[in-house]
Amino acid sequence: MPQSSSGTIPLRKFGRADAKVSALGFGGHHLGEAPDAKTAIEMIHQAVDGGITFYDNCWEYRRGKTEVWMGAGLKGRRDKVFLMTKTCPHGRDGSLALQMLEESLHRYQTDHLDLWQVHGMGFDNDPELFIRKDGAAEALERAKKDGKVRFVGFTGHKNPKVHLAMLNTGFPFDAVQMPLNAFDATFTRSFERDVLPELTKRGIAVLGMKPLSGHGDAIKRGVITAEESLRYAMSLPGVTTTITGIDSLNVLHQNLQIAQNFTPMTESEMNALRDRCKPDAADGRYEVYKLSLRFDNPEARLAHGFPLDTQQSEVKDMLGAQENTGHPWPEKQF
Amino acid sequence: MISKFEWNRRSFIKGAAVLGAAPLLPGGSMAQQQSDPSQQIPEGQVPKKPLGHTGVQVSAMGLGGYHLGSAETDQAAMEIVAKAFDHGVTFFDNAWEYHDGLSEERVGKALKGKRDQAFVMTKVCTHGRDKKIAMRMLEESLRRLQTDHLDLWQVHEVVYENDPDLIFAPNGVAEALVAAKQQGKVRFIGFTGHKDPEIHLRMLSHDFPFDTVQMPLNCCDATFRSFETQVLPEATRRGIAALGMKSLGGSGELVRHGAVAPGEGLRYAMSLPVATTISGVDTMQVLDQNLKVAVNFEPLAAAEMQALRNQCRFLASDGRLELFKMTTKYDGKVGREQHHFPTTEELPI
Repeated sequence: MPQSSSGTIPLRKFGRADAKVSALGFGGHHLGEAPDAKTAIEMIHQAVDGGITFYDNCWEYRRGKTEVWMGAGLKGRRDKVFLMTKTCPHGRDGSLALQMLEESLHRYQTDHLDLWQVHGMGFDNDPELFIRKDGAAEALERAKKDGKVRFVGFTGHKNPKVHLAMLNTGFPFDAVQMPLNAFDATFTRSFERDVLPELTKRGIAVLGMKPLSGHGDAIKRGVITAEESLRYAMSLPGVTTTITGIDSLNVLHQNLQIAQNFTPMTESEMNALRDRCKPDAADGRYEVYKLSLRFDNPEARLAHGFPLDTQQSEVKDMLGAQENTGHPWPEKQF
Repeated sequence: MISKFEWNRRSFIKGAAVLGAAPLLPGGSMAQQQSDPSQQIPEGQVPKKPLGHTGVQVSAMGLGGYHLGSAETDQAAMEIVAKAFDHGVTFFDNAWEYHDGLSEERVGKALKGKRDQAFVMTKVCTHGRDKKIAMRMLEESLRRLQTDHLDLWQVHEVVYENDPDLIFAPNGVAEALVAAKQQGKVRFIGFTGHKDPEIHLRMLSHDFPFDTVQMPLNCCDATFRSFETQVLPEATRRGIAALGMKSLGGSGELVRHGAVAPGEGLRYAMSLPVATTISGVDTMQVLDQNLKVAVNFEPLAAAEMQALRNQCRFLASDGRLELFKMTTKYDGKVGREQHHFPTTEELPI
């Protein structure tokens, strides 16, 4: 595997805004899978050098670890990148969202974000709770006015109808994030079919995620290759960036190679891939994020009164935090 | 709002009399149970209701088959069935896949000698597979249920988005339903599912001659991804009998989280325009609670029902108490296998 010590990835216009971002984005959640801070920092350094400018993250990932590691990796490189994180009120007050913003800025060691998004809009009542008085909509407005964030948006992986309801609140979003992959394309709950055209029409930046449909099970079972998956997602007309999880230098190098040599798939190539994936797309077997709580963090579940799942990494982190190590200082800081 | 302790007059008087007669023994749970008026089942029977346009009448409450398989012993299950039967329950629910056949075996044994007075249902669990497998399952179900025919045979757990396509594909399970009816092995046919009203509507749009359709109906469903408002009127319009289930959320979620009292929740479901409300029973205590509501049942008034919908509206609004719609928690093992979904252990919710 060649070391992509420096390279370029196509840059794309960020919706109607005066900004450009790399066509491939660095997903923050998987950064938490790196064995240690040193490796994570090295991954960020190589990603920046390799041409990735878009950095995704979230207040509730791994109890802050991924923001801290990303912030450490971007030290001295902050101005070269387009830095995003998400806030996690999950229907609770905007004041809570703003507290989370301060924590994220502190963990990132920066004074502003390029993009701040409301995380995980997936429950049917989320749009109503977002736009209500004292809700998160007011926090987005406030943070933008105060110059702490340049752009604002929302994310979700569950239901295109909830995304459309968020858009119909009338709030002026700059960006919207959603799953886009070859399985989503033909499933009854398709973001590509139902939400993507609406965003393009409104001039809102389209942030694709889950190009490998979450855990990459379809790749493990040989239905599709990683390269096909990523190229498909990046080739969708109107998509601004495709955020993909990167948990090791190896995966980073693979992704950089695809993105640096990126040529869009033709329409007929894309159709052929949709057709191939269609039988497996029909029941959502590779998109369990739409049909279960697997990808819903504990913060979201608790705010909405849903049960926790002890197998989830964030829940394991929560439980781990109760251990009394007997050391006044952590042996390793993250 | 309806009080949890609103009983009909007869049961109140009877209960009060027992309370007066029994010595108060603090700490003696049996004695307390006996003296508690809420434990008294009124005299009378569970009323009968028409099963759609079939001309057949079934009891307004049905005994859920899954939980009979969870009862501690065969004996306990026999006693539950016998007591339910004595109080007028004639509708017995089941499925080929419940407890690997144990639920069907228990009902078969318990209904010995009473088969002709009961309305026996079970479900076929092809989950997308073909007619031949369906017919094999039917023979297995008949053997376990110790009968030569079913009163109702339903396609189980239509919950995956492509299930309607698979069911109506050439050589699919829909053809098995027709064949079994023609052969006289089943009197009526239907389908069940707990996930999404849109999937149910897609099933109905095939204009297939279903006699019944089973669906979750409870006071949270009334205002959230609602079978009550989307599917129930369509079934009624088509003359298809509606069978309600999950009146308390599947595992009593509606009660445990304070949305409704158990009696209220059950009464709400039974007051809807349904043929029966299927309720799971794994202990005698649960059966008694159900019978208290079902014996001499009279529907709630429209205003009382609206009050319950309003009471539940907040907890209903994100689906937190209807996990069967929102998560994989209630999706069975065989369906997951056939649809290549992770197992219950891998993906509990």
